[in-house]
Amino acid sequence: MNTKRKENKFEPKILGFLCNWCSYAAADKAGTMQKPYPANVHFIRIMCSGRVDPQFVLKAYEEGADGVIILACHPGDCHYKEGNLKAVGRYNMLVRLLKQFGIEEERCRFDYVSASEGGKFVSVITDMVDTVKELGPLCLNGK
Amino acid sequence: MKIGVYFCKCGTNISDRIDPQKVMEEITKLKDVAYFETVDFLCAEEGKEFLEKDLKKKKPMRVVIGACSPRDHEKTFMNVLSKAAINPYLMQMVNIREHVAWVISDICKASDKASAYLKGAVARVQLHEPLKPEELNVCPDVLVIGAGPAGLKASLSLTEAGRKVVLVEKNPVIGGMPVRYEEIFPNMECGPCMLEPMLGDVLHGDNSENIELLTLSEVVEVAGYLGNFIVKIKQLPRYVNPEKCIGCRECIEPCPVSAKNEFNCSLDERKAISFAFSGGLPNFPFIDDEVCLRTKGENCRLCEDACIVDDAINFDDKKKVIERNVGAIIVAVGAELYDCSNLTNLGYGKLPNIYTSLEFERIIASNGPTEGEIQGFGKNGPRSIAIIHCAGSLDKNHIKYCSGTCCQSAFKFNQFISKKLPNTKIFHFFKEISVPGKETFQLYNKALNNPDSLFIRYRNINEIDVSIENGRLAIHYSFSSGKRCKSTADMIILCPPIIPSSDTAELGSILEIPADRYGFFEELHNRVDSVQSKLKGVYLTGSCQSPMDIQNAMNQGLAASGYILSGLPEGKKLEIEPIIASVDEERCSGCRVCILVCPYKAIDFDEEKAKATTNSVLCQGCGTCVAACPAGVIKGNHFTAEELLAEIQGVLT
Repeated sequence: MNTKRKENKFEPKILGFLCNWCSYAAADKAGTMQKPYPANVHFIRIMCSGRVDPQFVLKAYEEGADGVIILACHPGDCHYKEGNLKAVGRYNMLVRLLKQFGIEEERCRFDYVSASEGGKFVSVITDMVDTVKELGPLCLNGK
Repeated sequence: MKIGVYFCKCGTNISDRIDPQKVMEEITKLKDVAYFETVDFLCAEEGKEFLEKDLKKKKPMRVVIGACSPRDHEKTFMNVLSKAAINPYLMQMVNIREHVAWVISDICKASDKASAYLKGAVARVQLHEPLKPEELNVCPDVLVIGAGPAGLKASLSLTEAGRKVVLVEKNPVIGGMPVRYEEIFPNMECGPCMLEPMLGDVLHGDNSENIELLTLSEVVEVAGYLGNFIVKIKQLPRYVNPEKCIGCRECIEPCPVSAKNEFNCSLDERKAISFAFSGGLPNFPFIDDEVCLRTKGENCRLCEDACIVDDAINFDDKKKVIERNVGAIIVAVGAELYDCSNLTNLGYGKLPNIYTSLEFERIIASNGPTEGEIQGFGKNGPRSIAIIHCAGSLDKNHIKYCSGTCCQSAFKFNQFISKKLPNTKIFHFFKEISVPGKETFQLYNKALNNPDSLFIRYRNINEIDVSIENGRLAIHYSFSSGKRCKSTADMIILCPPIIPSSDTAELGSILEIPADRYGFFEELHNRVDSVQSKLKGVYLTGSCQSPMDIQNAMNQGLAASGYILSGLPEGKKLEIEPIIASVDEERCSGCRVCILVCPYKAIDFDEEKAKATTNSVLCQGCGTCVAACPAGVIKGNHFTAEELLAEIQGVLT
């Protein structure tokens, strides 16, 4: 019981990558709907999820992030035709690498959110924060 | 570095939920932040005036603005920066309203988060570089491929505005399909009469000197990009000099050889020298190489002998490859009908008196193979004609979609038949009826109210079996209940859906524009931008983009012309967004990974140098190549790896 209560007090730091056209707009939508969600996720705006270089994700963990989330346009909806598909391909590779580093798969999440899905955005973010809270802080190199 | 930070309170939208004082204390601790200003409404006129004056006074080297979503006001503040003589890309906007104030109720947490975002922006903005839109000289001329309704309308609109058009048509005649229709739905207007004024304008109207019409021609090669395409056009020899020929037809009769006339759906024959069909424009004939005896080595000169003017026939005409420079391309190559012989149960091509809608159009056309007469049934015509709608459409085994035009053709035929052959019964076999728009229902109503027209809804086209019984066509079909029934007719008209024409794929690969899942050219967006292709500067019009009627094809032709007139202004330079990628040639290893991932074919490979190079006109700035480059030598302007890494570090620490 005690340990669980301790875990719940943990406030993870999570970095999120949002594409300008869909997921960033979804976050704007959640804002205009004034739908609250945990403050733990800090977002970086990029033009396309295809811009997410795996080194950005690694950098986030290095800088103390306990989790990373990449949100893209739904397949077929990408503003740049198929950048989201490139992004998910890279994500799948990256997760295999992270596992070798001992970083749990759940600490790196990829999902699709459209510009109108403010509600889905809030639930995905909330779920990510809950998941990482459950996992506890990420310890790299004994830090 | 001197960085100025502005915090917009957005009235109380932001300042009620985020403590500006607390944020200021955090941010002014950063070594490069020179000042921190709090403003009530930065996007209001007073706010913008204040910002401009303050920037002019304090002359910061970089600017960070904490306010609403950059999707709302990034452009607004970039314009203010420009007015204050600061490069607009030296600014970073932070969304502390939608992403913080409106979604976090705890003021402490919200203030911390706003501070973290601002720290990220301060770290990132220091690395920003001043960017300028690139300016390019452009060619204002336009290539239009296809001289049907869409291509003609676009050509006329562009030339009316003073542009030059190269109009390429693969057939010897122009006007597309509708000039071959006797009547056009929904108002039963005469097709040639409706289109000939347009054809006349193209051939010898006020602006026709600005239209270079190339018949018997096809685009074979395209290089370049918006503003500067180099196009190669292959033109087959016509062997008839348009300058000399007077269109008298004297040459046709003496020609000793003939072949099936594909312009009349092969329902009759034409000579080796012919006009395609009577009334076809431009009004001079062509010699078909494949039929003419001269290409078979004989020295036949009968057409030349019959010609009443000198040098109108030129046997020395040769195939040409013509090169043109244009700034934009309009694709208007039209479509085809689904091949009804795929519906083997319907007997098309095997049993007599079964025609497609296009063949029937030619049969009833006064310039067609029978000069408008339905032959073979005596004076009163056939006792009954069955029109089978949805011949292959809305069917998972054939064509999944509905073309939206075939029902209207069917009801047009109903009107035509009932007027011309009042004793003929008409059966409409249909799966669904589609008559959209404000006018098309009228022909449908006329058919419904016609006592000689009968409507039969069948369950599935595959359950219709056509055979010959007692010399007539017997049609066995199933109702939706599954009950089998039989009708008898003397003639069947099949209304198949519109499908992409057979050369769509090849032209797509020449132009490097993709096709959709049905094989039509894929539009940029099916609602917002159906006239733009996925390649900048290439526009899609008419039924090569989607099945459509003449009205929509004309509208798309006009829309494409509008896009070109506004987006490719004559005498002005084209401004290219600076948020694009560029390759550091020195360090490029030539692995070509970037070329594989670019969705816009904006990266070329310089074979000589063995390096990749980006095309600033085609690049849309998505950054996929930047992330993919294994050597990290592609720079994505305004979203460089250094800038993003600095932002990540700034936000997280």
